[in-house]
Amino acid sequence: MRMAKQAGTRPQKAQPVVEDSNHKWIAVCRGTGCVSSESPRIHQALIDELAAHNLDGKVEVRRTGCFGFCSQGPIVVIHPEETFYTHVKPEDAKEIVATHLVGGQRVARLLYFDPSQNAHIEKWSEIGFYGKQQRVLLRNCGIVDPENIQHYIDQGGYKALKQVLAKMTPEQVIEEINQAGLRGRGGGGFNAGVKWSLARKTQSWPKYVVCNADEGDPGAFMDRSVLEGDPSSVIEGMIIAGYAIGAQEGNIYCRAEYPLAIERLKIAIAQAQELDFLGQNILGSGFDFEIFVREGAGAFVCGEETALIASIEGDRGQPRPRPPYPAASGLWNQPSNVNNVKTYAYTPKIICEGAEWFRSLGTEGSPGTAVFALTGMVNRTGLIEVPMGITLRDIIYDVGGGVPDGRKFKAVQTGGPLGGCLPEDYLDVPVDFDSLNAAGAVMGSGGMIVADETTCMVEFSKYFMRFVTEESCGKCPPCRIGSTRMLECLERITSGDGKPEDLDEIRYLAKGMQQGSLCGLGQLAPAPVLSALRHFEGEFWAHIHEGRCPSASCEMLVRAPCVSACPAGVDVPAYLALVAQGRHAEGLAIHRKSNPFPSICGRVCPAFCERRCRRGQIDESIAIRQVKRFMADESSSEPWTPPRMAPKKDASIAVIGSGPCGLTAALRLAQNGYDVTVFERMSQPGGMMTYGIPAYRLPREELFAEIDYIRRAGVEIRCGQELGSDFTIKSLQEDGFKAIILALGAHQSRSLGIPGEDKKGVYHGVQLLRDIAEGRIPNLSGRRVVVVGAGDTAMDAARSAMRLGAKEVSIVYRRSREQVPAQDEEFIATEQEGVRIHLLANPVMIMGDESVTGVRLQRQELGDFDSSGRRRPVPVPGSEYDMPCDLLIPAIGQITWVEDESVGMSRKGSFQVGEAFEIDIPGVFAAGDAVSGPATVVQSVAHGNEVAITVDTWLKTGKLGGVYYHPERHDIPQLFNIDDYADASRPRVKMLTPEERINRQDFTEVEACLDEDVIREECKRCLRCDMEWLERIGEPMP
Amino acid sequence: MEAACAGSFLVVLTLARKRRMYMCKRGDDAVDLALIEPILEKYGSRRGTLIPILQKAQDLYGYLPPPVLEVISKRLRLPISKIFGVATFYSQFYMERRGRHVLKICDGTACHVKGTPSLLSAIRDEYRIKPGETTEDYELTLEVVYCLGSCALAPVAVLGDQVVGNLRGDQLSRVVRKRIKETAIPSEE
Repeated sequence: MRMAKQAGTRPQKAQPVVEDSNHKWIAVCRGTGCVSSESPRIHQALIDELAAHNLDGKVEVRRTGCFGFCSQGPIVVIHPEETFYTHVKPEDAKEIVATHLVGGQRVARLLYFDPSQNAHIEKWSEIGFYGKQQRVLLRNCGIVDPENIQHYIDQGGYKALKQVLAKMTPEQVIEEINQAGLRGRGGGGFNAGVKWSLARKTQSWPKYVVCNADEGDPGAFMDRSVLEGDPSSVIEGMIIAGYAIGAQEGNIYCRAEYPLAIERLKIAIAQAQELDFLGQNILGSGFDFEIFVREGAGAFVCGEETALIASIEGDRGQPRPRPPYPAASGLWNQPSNVNNVKTYAYTPKIICEGAEWFRSLGTEGSPGTAVFALTGMVNRTGLIEVPMGITLRDIIYDVGGGVPDGRKFKAVQTGGPLGGCLPEDYLDVPVDFDSLNAAGAVMGSGGMIVADETTCMVEFSKYFMRFVTEESCGKCPPCRIGSTRMLECLERITSGDGKPEDLDEIRYLAKGMQQGSLCGLGQLAPAPVLSALRHFEGEFWAHIHEGRCPSASCEMLVRAPCVSACPAGVDVPAYLALVAQGRHAEGLAIHRKSNPFPSICGRVCPAFCERRCRRGQIDESIAIRQVKRFMADESSSEPWTPPRMAPKKDASIAVIGSGPCGLTAALRLAQNGYDVTVFERMSQPGGMMTYGIPAYRLPREELFAEIDYIRRAGVEIRCGQELGSDFTIKSLQEDGFKAIILALGAHQSRSLGIPGEDKKGVYHGVQLLRDIAEGRIPNLSGRRVVVVGAGDTAMDAARSAMRLGAKEVSIVYRRSREQVPAQDEEFIATEQEGVRIHLLANPVMIMGDESVTGVRLQRQELGDFDSSGRRRPVPVPGSEYDMPCDLLIPAIGQITWVEDESVGMSRKGSFQVGEAFEIDIPGVFAAGDAVSGPATVVQSVAHGNEVAITVDTWLKTGKLGGVYYHPERHDIPQLFNIDDYADASRPRVKMLTPEERINRQDFTEVEACLDEDVIREECKRCLRCDMEWLERIGEPMP
Repeated sequence: MEAACAGSFLVVLTLARKRRMYMCKRGDDAVDLALIEPILEKYGSRRGTLIPILQKAQDLYGYLPPPVLEVISKRLRLPISKIFGVATFYSQFYMERRGRHVLKICDGTACHVKGTPSLLSAIRDEYRIKPGETTEDYELTLEVVYCLGSCALAPVAVLGDQVVGNLRGDQLSRVVRKRIKETAIPSEE
């Protein structure tokens, strides 16, 4: 496959209508998107303001088509300097005229702000969104006034028609289109030249030209933008097609939902008639041609050509079997040529510039450009035009700016309800007809929808299937019945009633629909479901087996977003409701059923729950972590004895590692009656909670109190016992342990891989935190410290160094601020405490003879996107500079490391486990950081809960897997009126000031607990999504 | 009683016919059949004009009252079954009287992933209507449409002819409430 060429003939930037390059004019986007946002009022306001400054007549205000960058609309562009103003309001007209047109200064606040460059971009052509675009079809959108044909003519419009009528035979026209390799842009990709020649060859008159503008795909608006922004190009293309096939009538079938497009088409047709481009004896050539606009009446199936023809004829829009194809027998049973809007719109340009030019764009098999409506979960949505052959990654990340709010990309759906989705691994697939087909998606007519981690793929495919059931015309049973039955399967799955057989049923129905349906609608309808099943089968199983929607979007399965978001599934609304009533102890008991560390998590949890809290969409999320902490602190005087859940069993289990995962697993198994022993390498239990989190975030007494509660369940914790030296898997098995759980932490710090790492003064972050935890507190007074990395460990190390009296602490990170992996609160606190942050800098050498005297850094630039979806830092050659320091702290990540070779660690330092967390050795399981990589406390707790269940089942039944952790549900009544809390706001946390923290030079806890009355009021802000869910599933309110 | 009812109905019917009026089955709007005449005159003689005629008729009446369909059938010399078939096939045509305000909520893919379900449930809760239904007072009709082509403003809805986009939280409910209040016909108290 030939990739997109660096085209020698790039489409020229459209010149202003008046040749004088100083001609000032203002383009106001009047596409549907911007019109909805009041662009007509902006237009008028600009005219009024110009008049007020006596500039009317000197500066033209022009209505234009869509600029494509709809998420930034309404858009106003000042020419000739191409200043691109975004989010313009009618009130801004005054400032634009006074400051820019009169004063000659840019209105900075209205310029496009590029977050990745952290700068305002002034010129249209310099905006990232347009960087990889190549506007051929959309060349006139945003330049010409679609309601003034003269603008189109000034841009070279109707030149092609004149050329065709004066110099070319119909056969030559068809040959030119054939040579260009123009493929139908409606989605099928059939060669347009071939289609035209078939219609020409059929010996029957009259013939018809039909333009398919029934763009019904949800999430697609390419045709609308072309019709609204440059209707004359479509009309000219149709006239040329009419000449080529020998037709005298053209019909544009446009969906009624596009009133603006219909209006502009009618204007363009009327103006073309006036100028003799349409009508009898066009331009004296003897060729007659008329065009009629037909409004659709709201039926997706009319996008299928035979159904469309039936609809124009005034019938129900139902397809009929092909052949005969419309080229032989179409509208009124006469030869007809049906093409998409875009296919016609390319035609004049191809005639003018030649087939060779068109072939120079795009790829060998798919010449030209592709127009997509890029929507869904991307930062920059809108209409884009890119050369064929560009990768999906380039479109989503470079043009679309990636997924918003730092969420993770999940899938991209092309072709709408008749297309398919592709996951992350396929992002480097080139976008052209054949490659997308091969990958299991389709080009479609150009909808491109991005889904992120919050999109449930089962729900997503159900959505498309529902669309098909509603739009199926009903003529053929495979489509009508098949889609309904398939929707039923999907509805069962998303409501938690799915059965394993449902997936087989879906595949069976899909086959029937693909083979037996009459038209493309039924044949392609199963594709989205099948592709979701192919790439995201695990999500379907999570729904079926566990009754869980991993993306927290299936409303029947999601009691509350906070519960779904919590890795351990803690029943957040229940304990919030209990604390609101002053029943802290009960709330705490509920918390401990899913997570035994409320005090620890109340201090250090990144609070995944708060990120998804629905209240956060209104004002601010509930301060869930603060409530949790309050609940724990309030009961700290009463030690907890975990309840025994099952009778005592005659089996002992060894857990290796006493981090949150190991302790949770040990606790759950002890509660289930097992005899559990935990082996810990270090002198104190707690793993990374003890050795990785400094006391100013997690005071030791709180930490050890909660670990003690685990002991009260009967768990024995043996410290100072290391796997590989003090005992081995084999020795444990010989000692009679029936099951062994490896819950090893990730303690081994990654090395930087640069020269000089063996010098004195290189002190790994993990080691520093461990020394502090063990009481070997280093004296850093007067020292200059550089920390490398920006994860939580790096922040902890830097803040600890500040507390230990370092003269100066700097953090060096190779990426930019948005990509900092540490929690936001941590990063802000680190900055507040006086740590200097150096972004986009990477160490290349550690300097000094024996001891460190400094570090050589190299500046980085953000380049292309890497496999993590983040921009790859690229070194800037020759940008090295030195930063003096006497202590260098690497903190760029950790891995798990074990000395016992029998357990088979993988190269990356993690275990490969099966469904039940089992590894290759019978009776040995692995969970926590050693499986998932370094994770948070709550994620490790979740692993602990899960591995405990599978180990319990294995010991009882000998079966591996097939059991799932289901957090218990508690319905707590709501005793107050939520409306009273509509305006309540989230309380501010009390913290030591940065000066207090540093001046004290100790590790006093930074954050204070909120007062009881504040917490109780805060709990009442909870919207009680769980009550709504009860209503939804039809269960009684408590 | 029944006879009286039937009797008075006949009288009304006759009166209505005399004035070329017809009492509609639902609601109390009178349907003026004269309005459709110019449209039939303009399109009636051409082929393939059934759908445009139905569209114009609906623009006039707000829906397609059965008597209007009968007139169209006679004038186009098409069986009423065919007209009924076409009118019920396309989602754009309505056979029942609709609300004074029509709210179309877009459930196109982009809008769907950006929060249409919550917009729908808010309207459902406030007005007690499901998609396709009209409130009892004929104030509001709720519809779900697939893609208005304004995905960049997702989630988006159209109230009458006003497009409202980027809807968050209870914004849509507020817009609807305001519109109904502003356009309320003063009661005769």
